[in-house]
Amino acid sequence: MTLTNRAKLAALGFGLVAAVAAPYAFRPFTVSIITLALIFGLYAMSIDLMAGYAGLVTLGHAGVFATGAYGVGYVASRIGGATGQQLLVGMAAGLVVTSIFALMAMRVGGTYFLMVTLAQGMIVWGFATRSTDLGAENGLTGVARPSAFSAYWKFYYLTLAIVLLCSLAMWVIVHSPFGLSLRGLKGSETRLQMLGYNPALTKFYVFMLAGLFGTVAGVMYAYYNQFVSPSNAVFATSGKGVLMAIMGGIGTLIGPVVGAFIIVFIENVLSVHIERWPTLLGLLFIFTILGARKGFVGALSDGWYRWVPGARAERSTRTVSPLDAGDDAVAAPEVKAN
Amino acid sequence: MTGQTFLFQLLNGLSFAALLFFLASGFTLIFGLMRIVNLAHGGFYLVGGYVGLTVATATGNFWLGLLAAPLAIAAIGLFTERVLLRRIRGQELPEVLLTVGIAFVFADMSLEIWGGDPRSVPIPGFLRGGLDIGFMVYPRYRFFVIGCAVLVGVALFLAHSKTRIGAIVRAGVDDREMVSALGININKIFTGVFIVGALLAGVAGLIGGGLLSLVPGADTEILLYSLAVVIIGGLGSLPGAVVGSLIVGLADAFGRALLPDLSYFTLFAPMALILVVRPRGLLGRQ
Repeated sequence: MTLTNRAKLAALGFGLVAAVAAPYAFRPFTVSIITLALIFGLYAMSIDLMAGYAGLVTLGHAGVFATGAYGVGYVASRIGGATGQQLLVGMAAGLVVTSIFALMAMRVGGTYFLMVTLAQGMIVWGFATRSTDLGAENGLTGVARPSAFSAYWKFYYLTLAIVLLCSLAMWVIVHSPFGLSLRGLKGSETRLQMLGYNPALTKFYVFMLAGLFGTVAGVMYAYYNQFVSPSNAVFATSGKGVLMAIMGGIGTLIGPVVGAFIIVFIENVLSVHIERWPTLLGLLFIFTILGARKGFVGALSDGWYRWVPGARAERSTRTVSPLDAGDDAVAAPEVKAN
Repeated sequence: MTGQTFLFQLLNGLSFAALLFFLASGFTLIFGLMRIVNLAHGGFYLVGGYVGLTVATATGNFWLGLLAAPLAIAAIGLFTERVLLRRIRGQELPEVLLTVGIAFVFADMSLEIWGGDPRSVPIPGFLRGGLDIGFMVYPRYRFFVIGCAVLVGVALFLAHSKTRIGAIVRAGVDDREMVSALGININKIFTGVFIVGALLAGVAGLIGGGLLSLVPGADTEILLYSLAVVIIGGLGSLPGAVVGSLIVGLADAFGRALLPDLSYFTLFAPMALILVVRPRGLLGRQ
């Protein structure tokens, strides 16, 4: 095993031990913030599945996230259904909306994809603010955590387990042949098609997978917050997820989680001292895009290969941020069809 | 629906389409040439409206406001293009994401400066009240908005198809490398087009401030409508912006009248249909 892989395993092991030990080491408030960061980490990972691996940046994922949350909230506060029904409706609502959105977006790519998803997310928001069944501007209150997990530390372990399970599933997905076809989608749709793949169908699948994990995050968020509001679906929530993924390191699975921790901690801990948090979020966005597109994990890996003697020889070839143009965009521009 | 209410909704739809055209034309011009989807366009609209409102209220003159709004937004557009976007020229996704950051800053700063209450631009006396067009009375200001949009639309079409600058822009849309190889400074053209787009958004802000109200959230709302316009009409096409504005404006007006609870679906349905049938929009390049 290479030095780099050993270091990665060690970091992962350390992270796991720290995650399990967290409720013993920190105050309830901090544990609750970590729970939130884990939920957003899952949300950002689901965005990265599309943005980082398939090159499809979505700016409407909050729509999917909020649909899952609203499904739970609607059953809990309007119908008074049990947890099982809440979960069923939350997941089903998220997946149905995702499949409509995926069908709409599967034939477009690049910036067009971004625009279409943005409009989709906003329509969920518009619907949520207008629908009296969904509490309009006031949202839905009265979502209760399942009684077995009502204590903050129990809910933390539940969240940790679900996020780990989903991460493992995503790890399997991105390392499968399907994961390779996602990279092909990012590199060049034309070439992928030439190899016998159907790009539109691949896009549909990855959209559905991202929607599945995004919905899980939304459902968890509804239980975390015990309250669902249109602000969950707002453009800023979609943008925040993309920023988390980029800031932490797009195109990796751990990066979005790191980004989620950074953003959630800034928002909930530092923002006590900062009056204008959305402005700060916007500025972070601008600076990350201009100067730090490889994100935290990218910078860490650059530093590792540069400063650790034994690792230099193992340097991987991929050094550009996956956010930048695809592999062949420079070498062979897409042929324009006239 | 009687003939009169039908006509009333028709005019409502047309005047909203006129407002949307101001936004969508700039949006589509910027995209056509520079391949930048400017998601700060809604922010340009809102800040333009607020600046115009402030000037118009302070001086008591609507027209000074109408001058100040595009000038302020043109300056902001110049800064955005020259200082920020130029650093990452040609990288489509980072460029769009940068404008997302700008949109967040704009939304929050305008909340800080102008507060959260809905504001309206004071319109000049002779545009107030209704105009009797024989069988019904309809607000004069809305006719004024339609007139402005027609004027600007004709000017844009003439500039685009008859002038030398227009020819350069059209050539740039097809092949920017070739244009710069011909000795034309394409960067200057980029800056110019971006400023014109921003300027139009600023004008729309002030005009829209008399039609709708200026309020936090109006920026994302108008951005959504503009996105629907360009998705339906076809991104990068000026005629597409006209067609898209008309479809979205009319669908919105009649949607609000016929299905008030589902008003957003009148926006969503045509967009979904177009994306399935013609993914690049009605008049976009397929």
